[in-house]
Amino acid sequence: MPVKLIDLQHITKRYDDNTVLDDFSLYIRENEFVTLLGPSGCGKTTTLRIIGGFERPDSGTVLFQDKDITDLPPNKRELNTVFQKYALFPHMTIADNIAFGLRIHKKSNDYIKDKISYALKLVNLEGYENRMPDSLSGGQQQRIAIARAIVNEPKVLLLDEPLGALDLKLRQDMQYELIRLKNELGITFVYVTHDQEEALTMSDTIVVMNQGYIQQIGTPTDIYNEPQNAFVADFIGDSNIVSGIMIRDKLVEILGARFDCVDTGFGENRPVDVVIRPEDIDLVKPEEGTIEGVVTDVIFKGVHYEMCVMSNGFEWIVHSTDCFPVDTHVGIHVDPFDIQIMHKPESEDEKAVAVDE
Amino acid sequence: MNKKSRLLSGPYLIWSIGFIIIPLFIILFEAFTGENGQFTLQYVADITWFVNLKSLGLSLVFSLISTAVCLLLAYPLAMILAEFGKGRSSITVLVFILPMWMNSLLRTIAWQNLLERHGVINGFLSALHLPSLYIINKPPAIVLGMVYDFLPFMVLPIYNAISRIDRDVINAARDLGANGVKTLFSVIWPMSLPGVISGITMVFVPSLTTFVISDILGGGKILLIGNIIEQMFTQDSDWHAGSGLSIVLMIFIVISMIIEEKYDTAPSTGSKKERRKK
Amino acid sequence: MKKHRGIKMFYLIVMLIFLYAPILTLMVLSFNASKSRSRWGGFTLDWYISLVEDGGIISAFKTTLIIAFLSALIATVLGTAACIGMQTMRRKLRRLILAITNIPMLNADIVTGVSLMLLFIAARMTMGFRTVLLAHITFNIPYVILSVMPRFRQLNRNTYEAALDLGASPLYAFFRITLPDLMPAILSGFLMSFTMSLDDFIITHFTKGAGFDTLSTKIYSEVKKGIKPEIYALSTLMFVTVLLLLWLVNYHPWTRRKNDGSRKKYRSVPGIAAVLVTIICATGLLSGCGSSAAADYNNPNSLFIYNAGEYIDPDLLTEFEEETGINVVYDEFETLEIMYPKVESGAARYDLICPSDYMIEKMRKNDLLKPINIDNIPNLQNIGESYWETARSFDPDNTYAVPYCWGTVGILYNKTMVDEPVDSWSILWDEKYKDQILMQDSVRDAMMVALKLLGYSANTTNEKELREATELLEKQKPLVQAYVVDQVRDKMIGNEAALGVIYSGEAIFTKRENPDLDYVVPKEGSNIWLDCWVMPKNATHVENAEKFLDFLSRPDIAYRNFDYITYSTPNTAARELIPDEDIKNSNIAFPDLTKMNGLETYSFLGEKEDRYLNSLWREVKAY
Repeated sequence: MPVKLIDLQHITKRYDDNTVLDDFSLYIRENEFVTLLGPSGCGKTTTLRIIGGFERPDSGTVLFQDKDITDLPPNKRELNTVFQKYALFPHMTIADNIAFGLRIHKKSNDYIKDKISYALKLVNLEGYENRMPDSLSGGQQQRIAIARAIVNEPKVLLLDEPLGALDLKLRQDMQYELIRLKNELGITFVYVTHDQEEALTMSDTIVVMNQGYIQQIGTPTDIYNEPQNAFVADFIGDSNIVSGIMIRDKLVEILGARFDCVDTGFGENRPVDVVIRPEDIDLVKPEEGTIEGVVTDVIFKGVHYEMCVMSNGFEWIVHSTDCFPVDTHVGIHVDPFDIQIMHKPESEDEKAVAVDE
Repeated sequence: MNKKSRLLSGPYLIWSIGFIIIPLFIILFEAFTGENGQFTLQYVADITWFVNLKSLGLSLVFSLISTAVCLLLAYPLAMILAEFGKGRSSITVLVFILPMWMNSLLRTIAWQNLLERHGVINGFLSALHLPSLYIINKPPAIVLGMVYDFLPFMVLPIYNAISRIDRDVINAARDLGANGVKTLFSVIWPMSLPGVISGITMVFVPSLTTFVISDILGGGKILLIGNIIEQMFTQDSDWHAGSGLSIVLMIFIVISMIIEEKYDTAPSTGSKKERRKK
Repeated sequence: MKKHRGIKMFYLIVMLIFLYAPILTLMVLSFNASKSRSRWGGFTLDWYISLVEDGGIISAFKTTLIIAFLSALIATVLGTAACIGMQTMRRKLRRLILAITNIPMLNADIVTGVSLMLLFIAARMTMGFRTVLLAHITFNIPYVILSVMPRFRQLNRNTYEAALDLGASPLYAFFRITLPDLMPAILSGFLMSFTMSLDDFIITHFTKGAGFDTLSTKIYSEVKKGIKPEIYALSTLMFVTVLLLLWLVNYHPWTRRKNDGSRKKYRSVPGIAAVLVTIICATGLLSGCGSSAAADYNNPNSLFIYNAGEYIDPDLLTEFEEETGINVVYDEFETLEIMYPKVESGAARYDLICPSDYMIEKMRKNDLLKPINIDNIPNLQNIGESYWETARSFDPDNTYAVPYCWGTVGILYNKTMVDEPVDSWSILWDEKYKDQILMQDSVRDAMMVALKLLGYSANTTNEKELREATELLEKQKPLVQAYVVDQVRDKMIGNEAALGVIYSGEAIFTKRENPDLDYVVPKEGSNIWLDCWVMPKNATHVENAEKFLDFLSRPDIAYRNFDYITYSTPNTAARELIPDEDIKNSNIAFPDLTKMNGLETYSFLGEKEDRYLNSLWREVKAY
C-alpha cells in the first residue's frame, strides 16, 4: 500500500469574509495522478496553492512525507508547479528558463546542459533552446513550463489548469502527453481542472469539490457511474436528476410511476434524488415503457441523437442511436442497475462527504 | 472610416510643422549662423568655454546623482506599493503621487523654507540643541530639490512595470527554489527594466536641463547649464550663443532617448502617468 | 511575502514624511502670524485675506485656469482629429507623425520654450496671452494623442462595421459608436493636458510677455523678491483643492454609484473630473474675464508702465486711474538686464519705463527712446536742478529722461552681528562673516564693489582691471551666502545675514523694520544712481504718459510715493513735505554729496563690453 505523500489536515482558508476552504482534509498517495475537479470558486486552486506554498492556510497543517511544511516557503519545498498561464520568464531564453531551478541548486553546467536537452526531448521541443518564450505557441509554452518544472525532479508536480488556455485539439494532444510523461517519470501529479472530460481521461483519482468542500473522491469510473449526490451527478456528464420517493428497498417512485432499482437501505417512503444518465434510457413503444412521454425536440449529435421527452411535467434528456421524430408518443424504460439513488441533502453543510475507498 | 477622414490630421500636421519643426530649425539656424548670417561653428563650440563646460559638467553630475538617488528610493517604494496595492484600491499609490499635483515651484520653495539658516529644519535642530544643518545654496540642496521634484516620475513607471508582472511568474521563481533576493535580481528587476529606463530618462532629462531648482535653492551661487542658456536668452539676448548651447544640450537628451528606445520594448503608449514629463 | 511588513510600513512612512513635510510646512506657515519662518507667532488668517486682496495673484490664477482650459480643449480637438485621420494612413507616415509628436514630450522644456520664443519673435508676434496659449496647445497635443491613439488599437472595428451594416451612415456610426468608445481616452487626454498646462513654468517663462502672468511665473517673480506668506496661503489653498477634487472623483457617492458593473468605473472617473474642471473654469471665466482681456496695447485709453519691483505705491496707480479714467497696465521687471531685450525686440510694448542711468544711455544710443516734451508736464518744475544736472551725464540735453528716484549703493549691516565699524568694502571679504554676506545679483553692482575696492573706476573697460575685479569676486564667493536682488531686504530684516549690498532707498525701510540694521557708503566710493522715466520709441499713449508723469511729480503724490517706497526723491517740493525732521535731513536718504568721495554714475559701456562683463559675471557665479 503506497504511503501518504501529502496530507492536508483540517485546512481552513478565508479571503476577507469569503471562506474558500472550510476544515478541508485530503491526502495524496505517492505515484498517484490526482485531479481536483470542480467549478470555479470551489477552492481547488487554493488547495493547490497551499500545497505549493503560495498561500498560507488560516488554520490546519500540511504534511509532506509526515513532515510539517505549512510554514515552509515555496523555494524550500520539494515540489514544482506548472502555472495556468505558464508563467515563463519572458526575459530569458527557453534554455535559461529550464535551467533556472538547476542553477539555483548549483548543478554543474554539463548536468544542466544534459537536463535541458533531456527535458526538451521529453516534451518534443528539441532545438528550441535559444528561442524566447513569446516566439512560442501556447501549447509549446505550456510544454516548456512542464519541462522547467520536471528537470528539478520534484516528488510532486502541481498543475493548475495547465491546458485551460489551449484550444480543443491541442488540449487533447496535451492530455496524452501528460499521461505519457506521468508514466515515464513515475512522479505524483496533482492536477486542477474544471473540465470533467480532462479529469476522467487522465486521473487515477478524482476529487470533486464544490464551495470549499469535497463532494466525492473516487476513480473516474466510480465518479461517473455512481455519483454520490446531485451535485456530482450534475457536474459529471449530462444527467437526468429527478426527485423521487423510495417506496421500499429496490423500488422507487418517480413522477408517479414505479421503477425497479438495485439500491437498498434508504428506508421506506423516503424522499430521494434519482439520477439516470441520458444514454441509459431506452425509448420503447408507449405501452412497453414504465412511463409515457412525448418527444419535444431532436438534435443530431453525430454519434447519437439527443432527444427531449416530456412526461408528467419533467423533461428527460435521452441519448439514443435511434431517432424518434418530434411529437412521437414513446415509452421510457430504464434497467434497474442504471438507476442511481441518492440522499437528498438535508442542509447546505451536508455537502462535505468524506469517502474512503 | 474612409480615406477622406485622413484630412482630419491636416490641422495637427500643419500645427506640428509650425510649432515643433520650424522652431527647432530656427534654433539650428541661430546656432550655426553668426551675426552677419554667415555659417559658423563658433557658438556650438562655446560649450568648450571653461564656464560653460563647468556648468554642463555640474549639471551632468547633479542629474546623474539625483537620478541614482531617485532610483534607489523609488524602487523599493514601487515594490512595496505594488505589493500593498494588490487587491486594494490604488489609494495608497495615489497618496504617493499626490504631491505631483502641487505646483512644482511651490514645492521647491517649500524646501527653501525648510533649509534656510533660520528655516524650519534648523529651528527644530536648535530646539533640540543639535548642530544646525547648512546646505542651502550648496550642491546638496540642489540635488535634494531635484530628487524631491522628480521622484514621482521615477516611482510611477517602475510601479507600473512591477505591478504588470504576472504574480505567477514570481511564484514560479520561488517554486523553482529561488529565495527572495534571487527572485528580485533574476526575475523582478529584469522584468521591470523598461519601467526603470523610462523612469531614469524622466528624471535625468529635467534634472539636466533645469534652471529653476538651482535658481531657488542655489542662491545664485551655482549655475547649471540651464541657467546659462536661460541667461543668454533673457539677459544677454544673445540668441546665437543660447541656441548653440541648446543644441549641445539636445545631444545629451537624444542620447538618453536612444538608450531608452533600446530598452523600452513596450509600446510607447504606456500608462498615461508613465509619460508625464518635466 | 507577508514578511518584513514592519520594515515596509516604516519605509512607506519615511517616504511619506519626505514627500509631505515640505507641503505641511507651507500649510502651517500660512497660518503663522509671525513673518519669521522659525518662530510661531500665533494663528492668523491674515495671509489668506491679503492673498484675496492681492489682485496680482488672483488674476494670475484666473489666467492660469483660462489658459489651461482653452489649451486643453483645443489640444483635445486637434489631437483627437489627428488620431482619427491617422487611422487610414500608411504605417510609415503614421510613425513619422508619432515621432514628431514625441519631440515636445521628450525634449527639455527649456529648449521647447526657447525655440517657441524664437519662433514668435521671428513671426513678430507680441508676447502675451496669445503666444502662451499657442505654446501650451503645442505641448498639450502630444498628451492627447498618446492617450487616444492606444484606444484606437483596442477599438472593436466590428461594432463600427455592425453599425454600417445596420444602415448607419459612416458619420452617424462614428458619432454614435466610435466616439463614445473613445470618450474615456479623450477625456483623460484632456485632463492630462489641463494639469500639464497648470503646472508649466519654463515654457510660459519664455513665451509670456509684458503684463501677463500665469500662477507659475507670478510665483517665480515673487520668489525673486522674497517669499511672502501669501504664497504659503496660496499653496495651502491649491493643495486642499487638489485633495478635494481627488476625493470627489474617487469617493464621492455620486461617482461611486456608477460602479455597479453596468458602466465601468474608468469611464466615469475622467468624465466627472472633466466636468468639475469645466465648472471651475467656467466660474473663473465668468468672474474674471476683465483682468486678462484688458492687456490690449491698442486700447487708446490705456497706459503701459514697466517698472522695477515694488517701486511705486500701488494706491497711486488706482488714484491716477480714478482721476483720469485711464486704464493702467503695470508690469515689473527683475533687473534692467532682463528688461532691455524685451523692449529692444519689441516683444513687449510699453509707454513708460523706469531704467537707471547707464541703461538710459544705452537705450538712447540704440535709438530706442522718444523725446519727452517737458512743456506738457508743468509739475516737472518741482524736480531739483541738481538732479537734472546729474541726468545730463547720460541724457545731455534732458530730452529723454525724467528723474524719479536716486540713491547710492552701500552696505547694510546688522549691528548685533558685526562688531567692528563698517566703513570699507573690504569687510565683505572678511572670513569672519562666511555665509553671512549677501551680494547683489547684478553685474554692474557686483563689479562696482570689487572695482572700487581695487581703486578703479566703476565704468572701466580695461580688461586687466575687470579681470582683477573678477578674480576678487571669485575669491569672495565662498564667503557669500547668496547672490540675490530684492531678497537682500527681507533676509536682512529676518537676521538671515550680517552684511548685504543694498540700495540706499531700501535702507530706510529696513531700518524701520529692524532697528539693528544700519547703512553705510564705504569710503572707497560707490555708485550714485538716478532712475528716470523714459518713453520707448514705439510708445503710442504719449498724452497719457505725460499725464502720468505730471501726476507723479505733484508734490503731495511724490511725497506719498516716497513714504511708501522710501527711495530718495529728486522732487524738492515733496521733500519739504516730509514731517519727520530726521528723515528730511537723513544722511541715508539725502546725503550731502559734497562730503563724499568717489561717487560715480554708471555709464553705458557698449554692447560688446556688456557681454564681456556678463560672461565675467557668469564665471564668478558658475560653481
